[in-house]
Amino acid sequence: MNVIEINGLTRKFGDFTAVDDVSFNVEKGSIFGFLGPNGSGKSTCIRMLCGLLAPTSGTATVNGFDIVKQSEQVKQSIGYMNQAFSLYRDLTVEENLTFFGGIYGLRGKELADRRSKVTDLVGIRSYANRRAGDLSGGWKQRLSLAAALIHEPPLIFLDEPTAGIDPVARRELWDLLFELASSGKTLFVTTHYMDEAERCNQIGYIYLSKLVLKGTPHELKELPEVCPPHTKRIAIATLSPAPALSALKTQPFAVDVTLVESEIHLLMPDDTKNQTVLDAMEKAGTPGYNVRDVEPSLEDVFVLLTRELARKMP
Amino acid sequence: MNSMYGFQSIALKEFLHLRRDVTTLVIALAIPVIQLILFGYAIDFDIRHIRTMIVDTDRSPASRQFIDNLRTTDYLQIVSEAHNPMEAEDALRRGDVRVAVIIPPDFGRISGSPFGNRPQVKVMIDGSDSQVALRARMAFVRPATSGAEAGVDVRFNIMYNPDMRTATFMIPGLIGVILQLVTVALTSFSLVREREQGSLEQLMVSPVGRLGLMIGKLVPYACLALIEVVMVLTLGRLVFDVHVAGSVALLFLLSIPFVVATLSLGLLISTVAKTQAAALQFTILITLPSILMSGFIFPRDTMPGCLYLLTFLLPVTYYIEILRGIVVRGAGFFDVWPSLAALLVIDCVLIAVATARFRKTLV
Repeated sequence: MNVIEINGLTRKFGDFTAVDDVSFNVEKGSIFGFLGPNGSGKSTCIRMLCGLLAPTSGTATVNGFDIVKQSEQVKQSIGYMNQAFSLYRDLTVEENLTFFGGIYGLRGKELADRRSKVTDLVGIRSYANRRAGDLSGGWKQRLSLAAALIHEPPLIFLDEPTAGIDPVARRELWDLLFELASSGKTLFVTTHYMDEAERCNQIGYIYLSKLVLKGTPHELKELPEVCPPHTKRIAIATLSPAPALSALKTQPFAVDVTLVESEIHLLMPDDTKNQTVLDAMEKAGTPGYNVRDVEPSLEDVFVLLTRELARKMP
Repeated sequence: MNSMYGFQSIALKEFLHLRRDVTTLVIALAIPVIQLILFGYAIDFDIRHIRTMIVDTDRSPASRQFIDNLRTTDYLQIVSEAHNPMEAEDALRRGDVRVAVIIPPDFGRISGSPFGNRPQVKVMIDGSDSQVALRARMAFVRPATSGAEAGVDVRFNIMYNPDMRTATFMIPGLIGVILQLVTVALTSFSLVREREQGSLEQLMVSPVGRLGLMIGKLVPYACLALIEVVMVLTLGRLVFDVHVAGSVALLFLLSIPFVVATLSLGLLISTVAKTQAAALQFTILITLPSILMSGFIFPRDTMPGCLYLLTFLLPVTYYIEILRGIVVRGAGFFDVWPSLAALLVIDCVLIAVATARFRKTLV
């Protein structure tokens, strides 16, 4: 079953087309990663799906509601969590949750129950009486998530939910997101972190206002643009990765070279011998060792695809 | 380290900010021009054209001669005529006229009599604005020198503020002006702050209605403003001995539409202003001229035509009318209802425009 169905969605601002004929579906219970460079049209797309902005053409339904004709029902049935902390800093955790429950029509005991439930879900009970402005970044994001969940929406939009928080808080937030997804909620997440993208069931990649690909992380890595026929991808350890990278880039056999952690990832014709590469590195004074075959990372996918697209589009 | 270190870069950077921030630049340049023009025209200590009513119960050639002589003075402007003194009193209490001249039925007979008796004319003056009242009296001094009227015995009756105290006149006006300043600033900040901290977007994705958001923002500040009304009135009484001649309950009730108007004006500002600093500038831009033009200090009647018409657009104009009516002249509901009607119209227009503008400014 699809929670989101998008058909030819387009939004123009004057001459500029921010979202250009985008179509895709999001399945119930999935974590959908919506990726793309800054300014590619992600936010405009989310704004339309949340009923904030009317599309210039095309249609979409969210939880079965038409985003134009039934925008009020759409709003009632979604949660929204923004990258910037956007709750009230001068109100306490509990007051913020009471307020957001209230504007979704919750009253009395029902409100108290839901508040208690989300407070425990994100584990923020010990801070219930603290001012939201005094919380650290990670706790602020948990509070935002709790506020987005209080009316029990089946679908939650998370716009860069982990931007600017520390790695531990980031991991914990993702654990929460997995928990939500396993309880049947659908998560629509934007992120620039590749490790987060790896965790999504489905990925949509938007580039220059167009949705250029969609699939599972595994499917994306097998795309011909990422793994061209008759090529292979190897990882080489080296003590001086940066000079090694520059040296390898100029080699005729290098289709693509990049650094992943402190290893060189090299895409090259599959008839190139590993020894040829090691010799070239030796010669450049940056010896390599410990060569092995690797899968492309999602970063490889996006970098290669973006490069390919930039080449095709003038 | 030299404490002037970096001066050039800072100054240059500030110039760049100024050039980019068009709102600030326009307001900074527009305020002096607008204020100069307004101050220049609106501040006119030479009060003329005081609205005057004539009650001529005599209708003799002598009374007409007397009225014609009054017409020639610049101070008075005869705007209406009535048949009995009761009507004059009503018009004064409503604030329609400031002066009423009542000519007795025996005016012509006495002035024409050979016994040298002087006919009496009763002049009722609204003393709530002492400057206006003083000028009005002068109007009757001048014709006395011109022969024909030398024999008229003018009896002045200063109504409402017989001592012609400035405080009685100023305090009610101050209430209006202070309230406006505070309330416009209160709401103009509130929405801009939500936008700046990002919570506005969070609200927009929720089912909160636009009107619900607007009215919800108005009510708490309106309560605060009404507390201020009570505070200022109490202070006016305790410190400046200004008593409310009319009904305090009515005054309180009629304060509500005014406060709603100024708070809505604040909301309208916050749909235009992008930052809290800009909101503050807009607030100054709007409240400063209205202090001058509302009749708070300078009588509106003496303002040149287009400025006078502008005063009708300001909510505080009507509120000051209401305040002076109830506090000084003891006016009742039926005396001030036109001002109330005007405020209600302004309320509806401001809320409608602010609500309509609101959606556009978000995206």
